Amino acid sequence: MGKRWGVFLTMVLGISLSVVGLTGPASAKEVAYLSLADYTGPIAGLNVPADMGLEDFIKEINTKGGIDGVTIKFIGIDTRYDVARAVSAYKRYRRTPRLLMVNSISTGIGKAVARLIEADKKAQIVPGDGEFQAHISRTFLWGPAYQDAFAATLDWILDDWKKKGKSGAPVVGYLSWDNPYGREHLRGGTEYAEKIGIKLLPPEFFPPGTLKHDVYLTRLANAGANYIHAGGVDPTPTNVIRDGYSLGLTKTIQFTADYWGPTALGVGVHAEALEGTVITSFFQRGEDARNNAFVTDQWKKYRGSMDSFNEVYGMGMSWGMTYVAGLKKALKAAGYEKLEADDMYKAYQELTGLEKNGIQGPCAYSPTSRLGSKVVKIYQVKAGKIVPITDWREAPNAVGLHSFK
Amino acid sequence: MKALKIITLTLILPGLVLGALLWTGSASAADATLDVVPAETFLSPALIKQPVSFKGSGFAPNEMITIEMILPEGVTVKGVNKGEDVGIAMATADDKGSFSTAMQPTATLNWFFQVGWTPLLTPDLKAAKPIPPGDYKIRATGLDSDRAASSTLKIVPPPPKKE
Repeated sequence: MGKRWGVFLTMVLGISLSVVGLTGPASAKEVAYLSLADYTGPIAGLNVPADMGLEDFIKEINTKGGIDGVTIKFIGIDTRYDVARAVSAYKRYRRTPRLLMVNSISTGIGKAVARLIEADKKAQIVPGDGEFQAHISRTFLWGPAYQDAFAATLDWILDDWKKKGKSGAPVVGYLSWDNPYGREHLRGGTEYAEKIGIKLLPPEFFPPGTLKHDVYLTRLANAGANYIHAGGVDPTPTNVIRDGYSLGLTKTIQFTADYWGPTALGVGVHAEALEGTVITSFFQRGEDARNNAFVTDQWKKYRGSMDSFNEVYGMGMSWGMTYVAGLKKALKAAGYEKLEADDMYKAYQELTGLEKNGIQGPCAYSPTSRLGSKVVKIYQVKAGKIVPITDWREAPNAVGLHSFK
Repeated sequence: MKALKIITLTLILPGLVLGALLWTGSASAADATLDVVPAETFLSPALIKQPVSFKGSGFAPNEMITIEMILPEGVTVKGVNKGEDVGIAMATADDKGSFSTAMQPTATLNWFFQVGWTPLLTPDLKAAKPIPPGDYKIRATGLDSDRAASSTLKIVPPPPKKE
């Protein structure tokens, strides 16, 4: 009897253990988002508020029970703007279950990670590298390509030139960081300038971290620039224009900047120098952003006073809105159990026309487009505030003018 | 006789197959090599212009390679979570699976010197907290093949200043 009981108990224990082993503890349904970010490095001033916007948006979704019961896990990695660190971090997290999207904070990181994203059949979002629109892949842009937004600035310059009653064509100088981001604008931007009859001077490039920009600015001024486009992520363009102001150039030359141009960060420090600066942006800036209750309500709920509000926060929310819209479609198509990054990749291509509460224009992702949106708005610094001077307008297709190898 | 057949089929044959698999696995891992140049250094601004570099072989042709520093127990690095390795360089193998690369200035500043960054985007050397002297394991991993090779970088204290 004792022996029989022993055998019976062993069998029961064995079956119980195998059942536990097969099922494991009841786990929550979860998907992941990896941000290869910069929280303590050179562009932390913009990335931190952007990821705050995203994280708060995700918190809001998760506290309401997620999407069909699926919550979102935010994984933020501080790459300090370093490509090697980002690639290593991607290696560490690439096998995270249901890692549906990777956000690479810089053009350099995006280019490096893109190859791995293709091999792993995952999906990635990056700032504005037009190459990913020229060669359709699993990498999507946050908004219009850099060169398209630059072309929109050139359109504004031509209009402004004519409005001022000037004859002939304006001469435009371009200076930016000496890295993939800085050069990207001209891969199609140069061709567009030629197409509309603007004389673009030979570009000036400088290393990120340059303290003074007098040499580059003086060279452009001496070459006859009527307009100077200051690239770099804020506060770099703020500092470039500050130097232009000190040299007295802002009196005769109109300064412009791209969508990483002066934000609350730069205007708060150098309002006088930035007065009159024109910024081409795909997301709401300055007063527009401060008047968007959808954005400011969330900021106040999670971050408190509006004193330290930066408009890039709204752009982070926009990433979240896109992810959630994609997740809904992917879950509908594949169901949670079979959900893979490839489903998210397919879902993103179906987000054409997705509205984002006015933060940026309608989503332009499709099977043939990797542009986060096609429209930009032109802003200007007036009396220390960033105010819109145009409505949303479609950015020209400058990517299509360039021959990408 | 029948018992012998059963033992052969259930124990010996699977054992041989498993052993062969393990043997070939370790052989391919042993093929990958990594050299750190120099293998010993002290931290000084000269590393920005003459950075620590890496040479390797035995990886899959044309694959991306990440070079990581494994932090010894008790050493922390700004921006890196506990348990994470620090990517300090990257490379692409040539068609023979060999590579040569070096740390970029940003990597040296961020991971060796642990500098801060000013609002002007310049490295803040006053806020720097150089990693302590010691033996740091360096690992190169092929991102397609998962082949890995390791070596050591010895960071020594700087020589005493001449009076």
